[in-house]
Amino acid sequence: MIGRIMRSRGMKKFTRNRLAVVASFVIGIYMLIALAVAFGAISLEECRERVLPGRAYGFLQEPNQEERFNELNWYISQHLESTLGSPSGFASDPDSASRRERAALAERGIPEDLSDSQVQEIWAALSASFAELDDAWLDREDLRYEIADINLMISESEDADEQADLADELEDLAAEGETYDREVNALVEQVEAGLLELMPIPTGFAGLKYGFRTFLGSDESGRSVAMRAFYSIKIAFQVGLVAALMSVSIGTILGGLAGFFGSWVDHAVMWLVSVLSSVPYLVLLAVLVYVVRGNALFSEWFDNPQERPGLALVPVYAAFGLTFWIGTCRVVRGEVMKIKELEYVQAATAIGFGRIRILLKHVIPNTTHIMFINFSLIFIGAIKSEVILSFLGLGVQGQPSWGVMISLGREDVQNFFFWTVLSATALMFGLVLAFNIVSDALQDAFDPKHV
Amino acid sequence: MWAFIVRRILYNIPVYLSIILLLMAGLRYARDPVRSQLSKNPTQAERDAVKQKMGLDQPFVVQYVKFLGKTLTLDFSEESWSQKGRSVGDVIKKAIPPSLSITVPTLMASASISIVIALISAYFRGRTVDRTLVVLAVLGMSISFLVYIIFGQFFGAFWPNQVTQTTPFAITGYEPWMPLLTEGASLRNWVEFCMLPVIIGVVVAIGYDTRFYRAVMVEETTKDYIVTAMAKGASKPKIIFVHMLKNAMIPIITRIMATLPFLITGSILLEMYFKIPGMGFELITAINADDFPVIQAFVAVFAGLFILSIILTDVLYALVDPRVRLS
Amino acid sequence: MHARTWKRSLPAIMGLLVALIAAPAAMGQEKILRIPMTTNGPGTMDPIAGSTTYENRACSAVYETLLQYKYLKRPLELEPCLVTQMPEVLDGGRVWKFELQPGILFHDDACFPGGKGREMKASDVEYSWKRLADPEYSYKSWWLVDGLIKGFDEYKETQKARVDSGESFDYDAPVEGFRVTGDYTFEIELNEANQQFVWRLAMFQFSIVPREAVETYGTKFNAHPVGSGPFILKNESDWARNSSILFHKNPNYREVYFPTEMMPEDEEAGFGEAAGKRVPFIDKLEFTFYVESQPSWLEFKSGREDFTTVPQAGFEEAFSRRTKELRRSWSAKGIESVKVPLLDFIFSSFNMDDELLGGYTPERKALRQAFNLARDWDENNETFYFGMALPYDGPIPPGLDGHPNNEDHRAPYSTRGPDYERARQKLKEAGYTVVNGKVTDLPVIEFYTSAGAESQRITELYMRNLSEVGIRINPRYVNFTDLMNKVDLRQAPMFSFAWGSDYPDGENNLALFYGPNESPGSNHSNYKNPEYDRLYEKIRTMPPGPERTKIYETMRDMVIEDAPFTGSLARTRVYLIQPWCKYFKPTEDFYTYIKYIDIDMNHEDREN
Repeated sequence: MIGRIMRSRGMKKFTRNRLAVVASFVIGIYMLIALAVAFGAISLEECRERVLPGRAYGFLQEPNQEERFNELNWYISQHLESTLGSPSGFASDPDSASRRERAALAERGIPEDLSDSQVQEIWAALSASFAELDDAWLDREDLRYEIADINLMISESEDADEQADLADELEDLAAEGETYDREVNALVEQVEAGLLELMPIPTGFAGLKYGFRTFLGSDESGRSVAMRAFYSIKIAFQVGLVAALMSVSIGTILGGLAGFFGSWVDHAVMWLVSVLSSVPYLVLLAVLVYVVRGNALFSEWFDNPQERPGLALVPVYAAFGLTFWIGTCRVVRGEVMKIKELEYVQAATAIGFGRIRILLKHVIPNTTHIMFINFSLIFIGAIKSEVILSFLGLGVQGQPSWGVMISLGREDVQNFFFWTVLSATALMFGLVLAFNIVSDALQDAFDPKHV
Repeated sequence: MWAFIVRRILYNIPVYLSIILLLMAGLRYARDPVRSQLSKNPTQAERDAVKQKMGLDQPFVVQYVKFLGKTLTLDFSEESWSQKGRSVGDVIKKAIPPSLSITVPTLMASASISIVIALISAYFRGRTVDRTLVVLAVLGMSISFLVYIIFGQFFGAFWPNQVTQTTPFAITGYEPWMPLLTEGASLRNWVEFCMLPVIIGVVVAIGYDTRFYRAVMVEETTKDYIVTAMAKGASKPKIIFVHMLKNAMIPIITRIMATLPFLITGSILLEMYFKIPGMGFELITAINADDFPVIQAFVAVFAGLFILSIILTDVLYALVDPRVRLS
Repeated sequence: MHARTWKRSLPAIMGLLVALIAAPAAMGQEKILRIPMTTNGPGTMDPIAGSTTYENRACSAVYETLLQYKYLKRPLELEPCLVTQMPEVLDGGRVWKFELQPGILFHDDACFPGGKGREMKASDVEYSWKRLADPEYSYKSWWLVDGLIKGFDEYKETQKARVDSGESFDYDAPVEGFRVTGDYTFEIELNEANQQFVWRLAMFQFSIVPREAVETYGTKFNAHPVGSGPFILKNESDWARNSSILFHKNPNYREVYFPTEMMPEDEEAGFGEAAGKRVPFIDKLEFTFYVESQPSWLEFKSGREDFTTVPQAGFEEAFSRRTKELRRSWSAKGIESVKVPLLDFIFSSFNMDDELLGGYTPERKALRQAFNLARDWDENNETFYFGMALPYDGPIPPGLDGHPNNEDHRAPYSTRGPDYERARQKLKEAGYTVVNGKVTDLPVIEFYTSAGAESQRITELYMRNLSEVGIRINPRYVNFTDLMNKVDLRQAPMFSFAWGSDYPDGENNLALFYGPNESPGSNHSNYKNPEYDRLYEKIRTMPPGPERTKIYETMRDMVIEDAPFTGSLARTRVYLIQPWCKYFKPTEDFYTYIKYIDIDMNHEDREN
């Protein structure tokens, strides 16, 4: 079947479409990534790991002074203090090895060639300089308060002399503020340097991996946005493939039977099609997932992303499988009705071949191109619907997916923190675009009249 | 003709009956419908009492017939579970105008814009303009609806709000806008609350619609009358924009007909995101609140309208193309 | 337009005309208080059908209860509201005697003869309470009086039987423990002495409603409230579902005055100038509902809301992460921030009947304690609550007797994490193998938690914490209904939960572990400890005092050690108040405060 389509005229036409070939390559790359993820290149665990402070920027966005300070504050007074403990007793701590291990963030850890006492020394210096920075920062905050107060006084005061005095004072304070700023900046840099000494950014292969994990920044609990976006490729393929395989096979079988046998079979199938297509598709999806998820019997079995991550998506699959086959079924039925009247089929009937055999051997294979086209259309539909279902809170749960990222990240957009939404969108865009181009080309090549 | 119409209607009656059957069975047996109505720590007796009050203790057949009867007579007097003191019918009635104020303009704008684009595309068929438009349409289709909404809201409403402190468009919400119907309503409300969702809806729809209409137009260009007109030396713009458009009206109208039910269901996503209390919003809210009567009635109404519009489309087709009646 | 519609809208049109004529006179003096809420709005305004805080807020504007909380007093204390004085307590808390204030009028409403609100009588209280037993209302609030009042349970059963046999519910049948002794006096007899009974009298579900309104409006009563409170809902259309409610001042509201008893900080804030003045100050009250916090946040910033709570996304903008103080650029505008600690108990619970996690042997205790030790409550706080929530030990929230009142809110025996080393130790004690710091032979635990973005994020963080010691959980995100079903059927081995105290007494939280309350009761963990139960029965009859606090502490330490739950956390709500919004002392323990708030309509920053 596949071989036949590969040798067909349509396929030649398809391969002549250069854009479509490029798009096929792109899909291939995505598929390789999905396979790599499926074989453990990115584990669910790694998607949950902390790699950075919460809401760290990705590339193209530079933190300002306060954000840098907040970041350092997190590193020193929350992360290192809770993992390394107080600087004074570190070297004598019997637990020091495991403490060092816990201080590591992804690939970025305390170098092994530093002895415990060296670590203690650096850690002590670091925490001392951070204490200094902290003081400077608080002073700077106080100064801001003072300036705001004076501004308020100026606006409330009606006496020109007093206003002038206050303006003078304001000028002094502003100058003082600049000195403070310089001091804070210097200290920020000093602490950042100290932090780098204690926890250098890794180099080599580990550095590459660390770079990958951090280049898109982190979400609010410090998880790597990049890891989650790439892990989602696997989920997208899972959802797309299962939905497309299920729908295409159900659609072809039912459509084939209906078109070929006609009479009551046709009526029964078309009745089912009518029933399902009489409910708006998004409404059908929402109600299906609602019913399936709330069902104790079903959920016992599938809802276990830890041990059976694939099965956790069953409600989503079920909803897609039940809705998407309709289109395929209609087209296949029409095509089969046409093929049935062709001479070679009539001839096969005349020879006395079994009806089932004719259907399977002579009719269905001639609808392969429809199956291909529908496969890629449903694939796109499934990926896009997953996003919508996840937004409605009915989609993927317990693991990252583009839909989950987009719907969780939308609040971050309002805080000018774009990467969660953008990375998911960009990756999804690439895949969907490639599939769109391929299905267009397939349609052009095999079914030029189809609109 | 009448025989055909009657046949279509008769065919769709069992379809509708089965939808209601599946819906009711699913809502009753696939999950526990009454828990949300109970107190913090209910006893079995309380549970039974609630079931009894809601009529859920009756045999399924009885419930089925009752609900069917009520639906067909449009009697939605049952009380909503999550919005006490309101009947389901009231919820539906109040939800229709907001949905329509989004969907009608969206449909009209997107259809007319994309028909124009499709005509332009057909005019320049195979040339750069055509190809660019096709590529743009595919690009547009490859971005998730949700992303359009997120960034549309951000750059259309949130950003201007934060930066200029003016509110051209509301970030979310809805106020009645049809003058005369409600006190204090004005067209400004429409601009403030509905315009942005409509723009986003149109941008999203244009990609899909343009492709469809372009295909229609391209098919039309191969027809004999166009070839003849060309041969006779009629001007190309005139052929494309007058003759072709006229002849392409049939598929255009049927497509618009096919989207009519969406006028009522509204765009669930737009309504959810912009908090427009239309039909889609009410349905999802009801699902999240386990509002059993509302879910049941909404799906029944949606399905009914859908079937009606399918029948209407079929009939329209049959009017245009008598061959359909035979099949 | 139908003739009927015309008729119905006639009063509205008349009202509009009157308003138009009166407008010039009232211009600039109509004080309107605008309060945003992050919700779809209340589902009902019938007190006994309500349960959420939003229903509480709406009902508190329209209805009144026998007692209310003193507005400015902290810790919380009750005072008479509809009654003349605090109830007389006889027999150690078994019999309670009340006397209603004479002359309290219900709102003017068409359900009364002549449309004039009549006077409230003791029989109205009886009627309002009996509604709790009416199957018509699904017993939604029955749990408040279950087994409490003498003869009430029997009354409920008898009436249920009557209704089942097709007769109507008989509100005139007597209840043994409820005795109306005069127009204004009545007494209540409980099955046994109960000190906490008094708190319920201030809960909004016990609001007093007039029988005429309930009977006239039927299910519409949910949307057509008629009470005796400071505000009225003039037209049903003033409640635009999912969007807003507009209340008007009740013109017949009795004489009520701003409290003179206040805390020093209130004195400092200038509340003294209002003391003794007649309330309410405002003419209109508008609740606006936002499902998403962000638009409401913008409205507040542009001066179109009078106060707000800070949404999660707003903290970075308004507060310094380091100091947790309001940024100066904000406070310079006169905006005031108030942190309100909630009576909040956020925890996750184990099913004590579970084969793997349940049981009372030292091994099982150690296993459950390990879960608590391996949870980083501080990281949780920092990530999701901007570091403003409060992790603590035990079930009793801060501010109440029995709460560990030290700097770190730790009980003497504490198993609150993060302490991964001790968690591993506990896992070993429980008989599991720990290799490289991770337990290897503990099966995956099913963890039930509510669906929703927030809950998913919190659970994912919890999973990360637990994986430090190798514990694996499998989160099941289910909606609240399904969660409750699972828990009621004891099928959830572990689940997350939050409990907001119904009244400010630790007893309310300690009841969550009282044996006889086991599922489907409020003791969802099915914790059974005879000693604990005995103590609980004892404290119910004890008046507050150091002796009772001592027992609270003993009970708290018992559950911490037996660990039927892990926790805890109390959220802090941060209120921002505009400079023109006066005499507002935020709280989330009661919502009768609205009548005390005043608005300076002429403030320059206020936008209309």
